[in-house]
Amino acid sequence: MRVSLFIPCTVDIFMPDIGAAVFSLLKRLGCEVVYHQEQTCCGQAHFNAGRRKDAAKLARRFISIFEHDDNIVCPSGSCVYMVKKHYPELFGGDVRWLKRAKRLGERVFELSEFIVSRLGIKDTDARFNGKVAYHESCHLLRGLGVTGYAKELISRVNGAQVVPLAGADSCCGFGGEFSNNYPEISGALVSDKVKNFIASGADVIILSEPGCLLNIMGYLHRHHPDKKAMHIANFLASQ
Amino acid sequence: MVKRAGTFIETARKEMANPLSQAFLSVLPPGFAVMKQLSMSSFPDPAAAIELSKAIRQETLTRLPELLEEFEENALSNGARVFWAGDSAAANEYILNLCREKGAAFVTKGKSMITEETGLNSALEEGGIEVFETDLGEFITQQMGRPPFHIVGPAINIPAAEISEIFLEKGIISEPSNDAVALGKSVRAYLRDRFKSVKVGITGINMAVSSSGAIINVENEGNIRLTKSSPETLVAVMSIEKVVPDMNDALHILRILCRHCVGQKISGYVTIDTGPAKQSELDGPKELHIIILDNGRSEIYRDSLTRQALKCIRCGACLNICPVYSKIGGYPYGFAYSGPMGQMLNPLFLGFHRTKDLFSACTLCGACRDACPAGIDHPGLFLYYRSLIAENADQKEKALYASAAAAMQSGLAWRLGIKTARAILNRNARDGYVSSISGIKKGWFSNRDLPEIAKKTFHELWKELNRKDT
Ligand code: SF4
Repeated sequence: MRVSLFIPCTVDIFMPDIGAAVFSLLKRLGCEVVYHQEQTCCGQAHFNAGRRKDAAKLARRFISIFEHDDNIVCPSGSCVYMVKKHYPELFGGDVRWLKRAKRLGERVFELSEFIVSRLGIKDTDARFNGKVAYHESCHLLRGLGVTGYAKELISRVNGAQVVPLAGADSCCGFGGEFSNNYPEISGALVSDKVKNFIASGADVIILSEPGCLLNIMGYLHRHHPDKKAMHIANFLASQ
Repeated sequence: MVKRAGTFIETARKEMANPLSQAFLSVLPPGFAVMKQLSMSSFPDPAAAIELSKAIRQETLTRLPELLEEFEENALSNGARVFWAGDSAAANEYILNLCREKGAAFVTKGKSMITEETGLNSALEEGGIEVFETDLGEFITQQMGRPPFHIVGPAINIPAAEISEIFLEKGIISEPSNDAVALGKSVRAYLRDRFKSVKVGITGINMAVSSSGAIINVENEGNIRLTKSSPETLVAVMSIEKVVPDMNDALHILRILCRHCVGQKISGYVTIDTGPAKQSELDGPKELHIIILDNGRSEIYRDSLTRQALKCIRCGACLNICPVYSKIGGYPYGFAYSGPMGQMLNPLFLGFHRTKDLFSACTLCGACRDACPAGIDHPGLFLYYRSLIAENADQKEKALYASAAAAMQSGLAWRLGIKTARAILNRNARDGYVSSISGIKKGWFSNRDLPEIAKKTFHELWKELNRKDT
């Protein structure tokens, strides 16, 4: 199957290893992988800041770049949510763009969702030795409702022991600008998340959202440098 | 009611440093959320029950003007008097005049959020009428001059010793006591005295049944019931969205409301009043005045997006699940409504500019949307509010987003921008992370590090990946 990579700007800039892991994982699962080099950002940050005109410009650009692809795969639930749910809101009065946005939205998939529901693969033949805990990212869990796929994939990784995480489904406090504008509240939330992670006894906390990852790994690096957070793409790519 | 939405972050900071508030927040909201789940499981099909409550609220919204007229007609024919109040001032003036006309030196009040919204207490007090809150929590917060901490437990965070102190000062008790039961009893005795001779009682309305003109109140302490039955004149205040089409709908909303509030299948008391006491009836008010308050809601209704805010049944389920509320409690929201409910409603009443923090301080996690039995998409509304003020935003912020968007419009400019940012940001990097930018330790860096910008972005890496591959 031919797959087009939708790489979030946070991955592109700060965590390109996630993109590389998505690439090698999808190759391993038998996909032909393409990457449109002109892609920049889906406009989520602009949209969330209320800057809808800017977001609409970026959305039109995004649509023009990706609309000829049948499978667009992204290692971020919130970016997928942006395209699927918020793009149509940007083109309320513009029927042509609205139609293009909706058609594109049907072909955009979050990584784990794509692997299980489109490729029909539950076992990625990954290997990892150690205990892992899974943080439920809000946009996969409540936004898209696709968190089950990620958990399914993780549960089948050879050698990995999944341990329960208290408060797994409570928000880590990222929220984009929120984490910068309300650092005390955001800090209290990520500190709770990390406390629960440490108490779970897991070696690694796994998640499916680059935003949560930036937040949690940034907090771990400052306060618990011995603890690790990992994107599900890297986890499934490991052998 | 003091409108303190402008001091959101200061109050939030204070509350986050207050061990008592923190202790309650770690127990109270999650406890309510668990009890809600338990009580919802008593429905044969809980999901269908939620779908029904959402449908009822949607129907109410769609037929609002018509339902209100029908309600008014039926309430009038039951013998009630109906006053349409355009705003808080009109409602307060009506009540003040009525109190004067009835020669009331004081009033008793049942717990109501709507009169918090209108600031009725201070309006009456300024007019020389004493006000007695009769809900225990409201009574305590009234004595202390504090806003409610939680919709269900307005004073749940205030320790007995502090309550004892203020009760002594106000002459409600004569001996200090830290015993919650004794303190409760003293309030009970104190209020009974007031009920005995009260001329005008004031309550809110949980539901107004359009097909019969009945008004319904839900409570656990019996004080609304006493406020409704003791005086000769009862004033019941509702906002326009409180109607439901018929009694079946009302009873279903009642089931959902009680379960979502505190996990009860039904509250301790439910009172349904259809007009004032009839001649053959022994008790009940001789006059019932129903105030239907707009207070900006027609405006809210006119906008097809903000309209959904009027579906809210004030159950408080969204507070109990909200990560932000769970850290800062109810005070920072600064107005009658707190948590996601307040983030959604307060800006509509107070204006978007003064309340920017309310809809900005949200991670968009969607837990409130999931928990809401009325079918409100709070994060969607917050994003909409943000878009409404974005055009008038700070010039600096506007320029920042505009230039980022412009760069992102052109792949080349964007790549160049990243290269420049890398050169600047990574100067401060150590072992792959940055701990501050030019000495500023605030914002993100106040408790987290940031990975440095990658030596090779994915875009740069791709060429290698692809080459290696082919
Ligand atoms: S917004 Fe929804 S959950 Fe929150 S109080 Fe209103 S009805 Fe309840």
